[in-house]
Amino acid sequence: MSIERKDEHDHGAWLAERDLSLIEKTYLMTLIWLDKRFRIVDYLELMEDMYYKVNLQMPKSHTEQYNLDNKFWYWYPLYALGSFSVIAYIVAAVSGALLGFYYAPSTAGEGDPEAYLQIVAIMKDLNFGFMLRSIHRWSAQVMTAAVFLHMLRVYFTGAYKEPREINWLIGIILLSLTMVFGYTGYLLPWNQLAFWAGQIGVEMAIAVPIVGEWTAQLLFGGFSLGQPTLQRMYILHVFILPFVVTALIALHIGIVWMQGIAEPH
Amino acid sequence: MSDNETDPQTDGSGPGIVAPDDEVPTWRERKERTTGLSRLTYEYFERARREDQNLRQESSYVERDVLGFPAWPHETIRNLALASFFTGMLLFLSAMLPPHLGDPANPAVTPSVILPDWYLYWSFGLLHLDPLNPELAIAGGEKIMSDELYGVLANVAVVTAIAIVPFLNKGGARRPVEEPFWGAVGVGGVVFAFTISIIPIQEMFPFPVDITFDLAFLLPIIGATIAYAVLKTMREGYMYDLNKRYYRLRPPR
Repeated sequence: MSIERKDEHDHGAWLAERDLSLIEKTYLMTLIWLDKRFRIVDYLELMEDMYYKVNLQMPKSHTEQYNLDNKFWYWYPLYALGSFSVIAYIVAAVSGALLGFYYAPSTAGEGDPEAYLQIVAIMKDLNFGFMLRSIHRWSAQVMTAAVFLHMLRVYFTGAYKEPREINWLIGIILLSLTMVFGYTGYLLPWNQLAFWAGQIGVEMAIAVPIVGEWTAQLLFGGFSLGQPTLQRMYILHVFILPFVVTALIALHIGIVWMQGIAEPH
Repeated sequence: MSDNETDPQTDGSGPGIVAPDDEVPTWRERKERTTGLSRLTYEYFERARREDQNLRQESSYVERDVLGFPAWPHETIRNLALASFFTGMLLFLSAMLPPHLGDPANPAVTPSVILPDWYLYWSFGLLHLDPLNPELAIAGGEKIMSDELYGVLANVAVVTAIAIVPFLNKGGARRPVEEPFWGAVGVGGVVFAFTISIIPIQEMFPFPVDITFDLAFLLPIIGATIAYAVLKTMREGYMYDLNKRYYRLRPPR
């Protein structure tokens, strides 16, 4: 008699007595192998729950509910603008992360500033770099446009009405932050557009009484443009805004999920 | 095997968990015993739940048995297809229209036209509202606020006006035809966003600067009036008949 404990759940024997195809057998073996190590069975209930949630029957879309199939082109396509801005945001985030590998926020250098030269290097020397910058720029433009149009759709279909005021306010904040995102972004190449747009920003900040000069110090690093400005725009653009905006987008969509898409057209 | 049944089981059955006896309070009892804010919260939620339930029961809105497409695969694959198509369009756009990189920053050379990126034109236009800044000669003939501050405040005013819309416009109307006034306000706002954007470049237009400035405020009003008339007509006319069924079908609030 062997000292080894008897296997009460002899999976091998159980497998052998069943007539399984190769795929089924491979799948089961993998599952058993993983289960022995990770106790997947313990999570089975969770997985089952998830399965049924995913396969839930969705409620009738409003075109179905109100029999508006023949009026599909009236408003319905505009209901995709929110998702389009999210997709453009994701594309911008991915391409922006890649651009970040090659960019340095520096105004140093004889003649042309370092940041500008980096952008030139990205566009001329880096494989696929021109396309990368193009993707980032265009996804940002498209996101801004989609966000504006999304707001118009929400306005003209009355989707901001009663239980949805909070989401309208979050939307206003997101719209403003999108523009700040764009603003901090197009300042980064440190070209003429960037410099003079930055000048407008500084002047706007200084014009405000009491808090204005403090704001100019905080956001632009002084009253005239230079290395501190670029540094701060860079930190805002790649470190602060992404977290804030992503969290707000999640909240925005979470509320839409909770309250449902506003009816109908 | 009888021994095995008394052993703790991995699925949570067996004697591992102490069975509740009569002295253990239920969750309902526990909640009812609480005091203060938590008691209030509980009572409110109970009331709200009951109210919701009553509303549902009184409603004449019929929920159907077959409600729509399942999330998987129908909705998911449709959404993936739309997302891929949209991303593809983005990449196509990027490949076809590469971005322009202007001259490097040079504080010594002021460009002839200073503008931000296109989505800030409206904001930049609001900074150029100096002619509207009232000159009140209280403190030695100086303006009460600087033109720059006036422009910044105009920005704040516009954003605030947009933000308070849901607190002014109540009710269940969902279409411009149903509320011509608010539809007209929206059209006026969109036209204003365009006309205010051309104020910073008003010198580039072939007629006097004053006229461009006045048009920036007149055109939105004209646009809003036209929109109001059109929406009124539509509401009185065929659109209303066309949508009667839709109005009848709307579930009661």
